[in-house]
Amino acid sequence: MDSWSAFRSALEAQLPADTCSTDADDLATYGRDWTRVFAPAPKLLVRPRTTAEVSTVMQLATAHKVAVVPSGGRTGLAGGAVAAKGEVVLSFERMRAIGPIDALGLSVVVQAGAVTEAVHRHCAEAGLFWPVDFASKGSSQVGGNIATNAGGVRVIRYGLTRQWVLGLEVVLPSGEVLQLNGALEKNNTGVDLRQLFIGSEGILGLITQATLKLTRLPGKTDVFLFAVDNLKAVLKLFSTARKGPFTLSAYEFFTDKCTARLEKHRGLRPPFEAASSHYVLMEVEAADAGALDPWLQKLFEDGLVRDGTLAQSEEQARGLWALREGISESLSATGLPHKNDIALPIEALGAFCTELDSVFSTRYPGWEICLFGHIGDGNLHVNVMKPEQLTKEAFWEKTHEADEQLFSLVKKYHGSISAEHGIGLLKKPFLHYSRSDTELALMRALKAAFDPLGILNPGKVL
Amino acid sequence: MLFPMKILVTAKRVEDPESKIKVKPDGTGIVPEGLKYKINPFDEIAVEEALRLVAKHKGETVVVSIGGKEVHEQLRHAMAMGVDRAVWVNHTGPLDQMAIAGLLKKVCEKEKPDMAILGKQSIDDDQNQVGQYMAEWLGWGQATFASKHESLDSDAEKSKTPALVVGADGKTVKVVREVDGGLGTVECTLPAVVTTDLRLNQPRYAPLPGIMKAKSKPIEELTPAGLGVDVAPKLTVLKMSAPAPRKAGIKVPDVATLMQKLKTEAKVI
Repeated sequence: MDSWSAFRSALEAQLPADTCSTDADDLATYGRDWTRVFAPAPKLLVRPRTTAEVSTVMQLATAHKVAVVPSGGRTGLAGGAVAAKGEVVLSFERMRAIGPIDALGLSVVVQAGAVTEAVHRHCAEAGLFWPVDFASKGSSQVGGNIATNAGGVRVIRYGLTRQWVLGLEVVLPSGEVLQLNGALEKNNTGVDLRQLFIGSEGILGLITQATLKLTRLPGKTDVFLFAVDNLKAVLKLFSTARKGPFTLSAYEFFTDKCTARLEKHRGLRPPFEAASSHYVLMEVEAADAGALDPWLQKLFEDGLVRDGTLAQSEEQARGLWALREGISESLSATGLPHKNDIALPIEALGAFCTELDSVFSTRYPGWEICLFGHIGDGNLHVNVMKPEQLTKEAFWEKTHEADEQLFSLVKKYHGSISAEHGIGLLKKPFLHYSRSDTELALMRALKAAFDPLGILNPGKVL
Repeated sequence: MLFPMKILVTAKRVEDPESKIKVKPDGTGIVPEGLKYKINPFDEIAVEEALRLVAKHKGETVVVSIGGKEVHEQLRHAMAMGVDRAVWVNHTGPLDQMAIAGLLKKVCEKEKPDMAILGKQSIDDDQNQVGQYMAEWLGWGQATFASKHESLDSDAEKSKTPALVVGADGKTVKVVREVDGGLGTVECTLPAVVTTDLRLNQPRYAPLPGIMKAKSKPIEELTPAGLGVDVAPKLTVLKMSAPAPRKAGIKVPDVATLMQKLKTEAKVI
């Protein structure tokens, strides 16, 4: 018996019958994420129900040297959850239990497969909030959020996922189960292994359960949409908003290229009489009503904004947010985007974007480039849309070339080639633009220490 | 040539359906804590239609709300959208539909608009009576459930074309209205009462300059006594209760079982 057959029969002997699937639809679905660059080709799908079952799968994978790809909501944009080489996909979707809320310690224990939005709803009933929030929260899972150190629309206010995880339960490639940090806020006892797994993209261990740190739900928020002339105005408005009479909880921007796709796909438009090239969605907490009016007045007096609106109801606030959150989906639904997710020190953004324009005009003359992002975090989503006349292959080739130039520019301004999407398969060839040789060597050493056989999410990141 | 129009609209303060609405255990009303409020969505449509008409014809828009000082929020919202000024009928305590219609009739007699546009109903008690009472008592024509031929995705809607069509002599209004199984068109002599349905238009977001300007627009205060209206309710709410909670669903193992249950239990296919 070869090692694959031995692995299969051992799985079947040790796990419930419905754990494994080789159904073609299942394999195609679970073998990929939201990237459309790689063709899914896993050999097997396993959907365990408990940590013990995950451990069994890994013990057998180690014994038979079988590669395993962890799989959450598969909303990733870097190919981190893609299984294209006959791997086993381990889906956490059956491990979605959400425990009772610890209202004193402000925490909740959830399994890796709990859907982000379900966690939000659960916490909201107790007036609490896990402030990891982004457009795909209705599909993404907590385990994936943690494994990718997800960012999103609230980073400017609350920071990354990393700040909102107290403890982790992790299954190592060997099958051994680690309990890291539990529900402790303070624990200075050597190297914090928990943080190594956060953002590791599933190459070190499998996150099966987490103790999430919670905060109180924000009070009254005000949601604004502004129409502005250009990126310079977006940045200038941001520097004004930083000092505004409120706490910023989101500062997002997008261009008319994005809204054109949004209108085509979802029929949504910015609610202004005249179209503008750049839009800013700003959400604030605890606005000082007395000081807000003069602040807004000044924006118009200084000509910083062309137009603006403030949501008058929850429904309108959701309507404004839909303009921002519908973009990614609309780009993919109406065309084929090549996505880049870069971060720059915010003070370098202006100069960077000027140089970026010249890269675009030489590399992509006349192409449609949809820019949006969490500009308040220095995070730009650069989406190049495939022109009709180009084949997919020719398109990937051209974008790959241009990426080298884009990332050199990112490096020049001390930015990151992946702000929040991660490295996965898609950005792996470019990791050296953001990490030194020594850093890469240390990462490889870590990988070898946790996963000496290299069976966990092989080929990703490093 | 177009004749300038004076249009009166309403802005009832209603519970925002996005907030959690709970009935008090003793059935005397709903729990006010934690509720958010907004303009009755049908009234918001009325405001939008009035603004479009006045943008085309020139003239003036006036918004009315009845309630305690808190209704200033809804009056300011309407003025932020572009309404010129507000009338506030200061009254706290329950009001039935006849009292509301009586108050609005008096305000109309005072303001003498060419048209009063109201929501066809308010989403709190869903009565759908005020516009009809008002028109009858004023002796005006009425066109209820105003709608339009074009869809809300049409170019006419995008260019904010008013759906109500005022005659060239400024003396009539043509209104497309929803009727069973389709649309009908009625023509009323002005002044008239028009009540709005959901598909009449898509209300605008209040522009920021409008929101700021609205804070200094005038709100005139009136009272039921000053208007000479007896608002003592003729209707009494005896008891309020929440709808029976829905039964939890079940999970079926496969499509065959689903089909069988749809046939034999749900009897829908």
